[in-house]
Amino acid sequence: MTQAEIKLCSLMLQEHFGEIVEKIGVHLIRTGSQPLRVIVHDTGTSLDQVKKALCVLIQHNLVIYQVHKRGVVEYEAHCSRVLRMLRYPRYIYTTKALYGDTGELIVEELLLNGKMTMSAVVKKVADRLTETVEDGKTMDYAEVSNTFMQLADTRFVQRCPMVHAPENSDTQPPPPAPNLVINEKDMYLVPKLSLIGKGKRRRSSDEDAAGEPAAKRPKHPTDNKEPIPDDGIYWQANLDRFHQHFRDQTIVSAVANRMDQTSSEIVRAMLRMSEVTTSSDAPFTQPLSSNEIFRSLPVGYNISKQVLDQYLTLLADDPLEFVGKSGDSGGGMYVINFCKALASLATATLESVIQERFGSRCARIFRLVLQKKHLEQKQVEDFAMIPAKEAKDMLYKMLSENFISLQEIPKTPDHAPSRTFYLYTVNVLSAARMLLHRCYKSVTNLIERRQFETKENKRLLEKSQRVEAIIASVQATGAEEAQLQEIEEMITAPERQQLETLKRNVNKLDASEIQVDETIFLLESYIESTMKRQ
Amino acid sequence: MANRGGGRGRGRGQLTFNMEAVGIGKGDALPPPTLQPSPLFPPLEFRPVPLPSGEEGEYVLALKQELRGAMRQLPYFIRPAIPKKGQLASCWEHLNSAQLREAQKRTHWGDRIYSYVERYSDKYQTSGPIDSAIDWNPDWRRLPRELKIRVRKLQKERTTILLPKRPPKATEDKEETIQKLETLEKKEEEVTSEEEEEKEEEEEKEEEEEEEYDEEEHEEETDYIMSYFDNGEDFGGDSDDNMDEAIY
Repeated sequence: MTQAEIKLCSLMLQEHFGEIVEKIGVHLIRTGSQPLRVIVHDTGTSLDQVKKALCVLIQHNLVIYQVHKRGVVEYEAHCSRVLRMLRYPRYIYTTKALYGDTGELIVEELLLNGKMTMSAVVKKVADRLTETVEDGKTMDYAEVSNTFMQLADTRFVQRCPMVHAPENSDTQPPPPAPNLVINEKDMYLVPKLSLIGKGKRRRSSDEDAAGEPAAKRPKHPTDNKEPIPDDGIYWQANLDRFHQHFRDQTIVSAVANRMDQTSSEIVRAMLRMSEVTTSSDAPFTQPLSSNEIFRSLPVGYNISKQVLDQYLTLLADDPLEFVGKSGDSGGGMYVINFCKALASLATATLESVIQERFGSRCARIFRLVLQKKHLEQKQVEDFAMIPAKEAKDMLYKMLSENFISLQEIPKTPDHAPSRTFYLYTVNVLSAARMLLHRCYKSVTNLIERRQFETKENKRLLEKSQRVEAIIASVQATGAEEAQLQEIEEMITAPERQQLETLKRNVNKLDASEIQVDETIFLLESYIESTMKRQ
Repeated sequence: MANRGGGRGRGRGQLTFNMEAVGIGKGDALPPPTLQPSPLFPPLEFRPVPLPSGEEGEYVLALKQELRGAMRQLPYFIRPAIPKKGQLASCWEHLNSAQLREAQKRTHWGDRIYSYVERYSDKYQTSGPIDSAIDWNPDWRRLPRELKIRVRKLQKERTTILLPKRPPKATEDKEETIQKLETLEKKEEEVTSEEEEEKEEEEEKEEEEEEEYDEEEHEEETDYIMSYFDNGEDFGGDSDDNMDEAIY
């Protein structure tokens, strides 16, 4: 784990769970697998706080435990999983686009709570949805359950490993930690629940006084007595599936940018067909015949078979190699090459970074060296048609930032410098790693700056929040214009200006974080797929 | 060893590789040597590309900020513990905080320097210390046995509209207070949730010497300026404007 990653993890944990959890989490990430006593001793926090922090981290799937010999339980943190917290808004938005508001809330609840039972999720989401619809209407549990089942079918949510009860539990003392296992085929199996009910609207403040004594008694006496039907079956969001979806989306939009809408539709159809047949980390999809693709094109698209064949040939011949031809049976067998696609996308990201940071001439040199693989200084100047001095300057700038590297080829076995070739080359994998590291640093800087800005204006923010609360309460009890006006003037005009600036800056910083996270996703996927291939 | 002195005279400025191979010709002006670390904020040559705007971008942005706020409200957000300051016994009032700490260390009954009395001002001090209880109910069957701790009895769910402090909670406080008379830990008080909206970051830890209340503003819906709630523990470092206790 690099220092930049650890710092980013620390900021994420601190923002979302507070300082105690951050301390424990960062300690675990830094030092690896540790038992409880060692954590307490090394971090200097009290045993109770460490226990609380570990409960929270395990609940959110950030830390796992393992029983070692002699009954010692060791805890290990997953740094990469902590970094995923940056991407939560993107997951939720994707679900909204695919499954509407219901799906969005289901995934949001699952992400915020780590893991939940299906009945708990359905109940909570129904309550939340009921808040948003007009008075009088409520959200039925059945609808929410249906959406949940759809999400499980398409594998966006999955079951957590279950407690495996050993058979001879009577004779032996219970183990210090439960053994969690999950069967592959059970992972997306939805339990048969008959959830009947409607969402409850939260009581408004008028009824609160009357509602309080009622709330003291259990609201639904049946809830406490009946056992929850799916007790012990917990669900979590399946982040790999989301990543697969993002990857597919990126490939489709890349094809659309490079060619046209129709070819992107063809690629989308191919990807949809291979969603269930291909595992998430396969290098390419199963071969699909041209006839199959023709049949599974969306209904509105009427292109003839020959046009489809032409498109497929074009896609297969494209130098980017997103689509490859693997055979001729069935009208031509085509596969989508994920490895190559991710490599092209990562390279495009690198090119774009160079272009925005150093200018388009530098980008030209970069693309040239990428294409020709190895070039000498003189050749770079000739091919790129840039004067020697400038070309030299640009090459050295890129070299110092590690986008380009030097490859030595000795002519003589004694590697004498005067008789060695020095060639410029681009190693895409290492450049991608370097850029990924920079991205982590950027996000860290963005978060720190945002926290700094907020801290600077803390007093002003508190004041404005209080004024808003006062306005809200005064309005609720009925007020005239003059009173509202007076309250509004509690915040002076320059203060308002300051608040506006603060809001704009914080928004900009947040949007930048989201943007950098997209680059992080791309680079991480590329590095992962390349490492798997090797 | 024999060449140590000689290396300085001859062969000065020779490099191990052939300069022409990497493109630096003879007599070319090299850039001046750097004598200081690169600037912290180097000037940008090109303006960055504008961020994507549009419905999707705005929605994701709003979602992100909302999530940030929501996570702070969940019981998973654990606030750090701040030791409770009690009423200072009157004989120690003339000491400043450093001397107090010394005295605390030296006497065998050091923690009795602060006798714990619950005060009205404590309700309005924003700190979030905790005792050894967890606020949510995990499934203990899924966790190692060594992690099990007491689950705090669930408080009623708060709404976002201003509510007066409820009586049952106050009595619960008093009971626990009596239990914890000897310790310095403070039970968690939930302050009204306006304090914890999206943009506000975690409140700074209030240390003894640095408590400051802005006297001009209405904080925490009280009718008194916050210095009314000044405990007098900062005696010795502060001005004497609002001191109620006698000065010895």
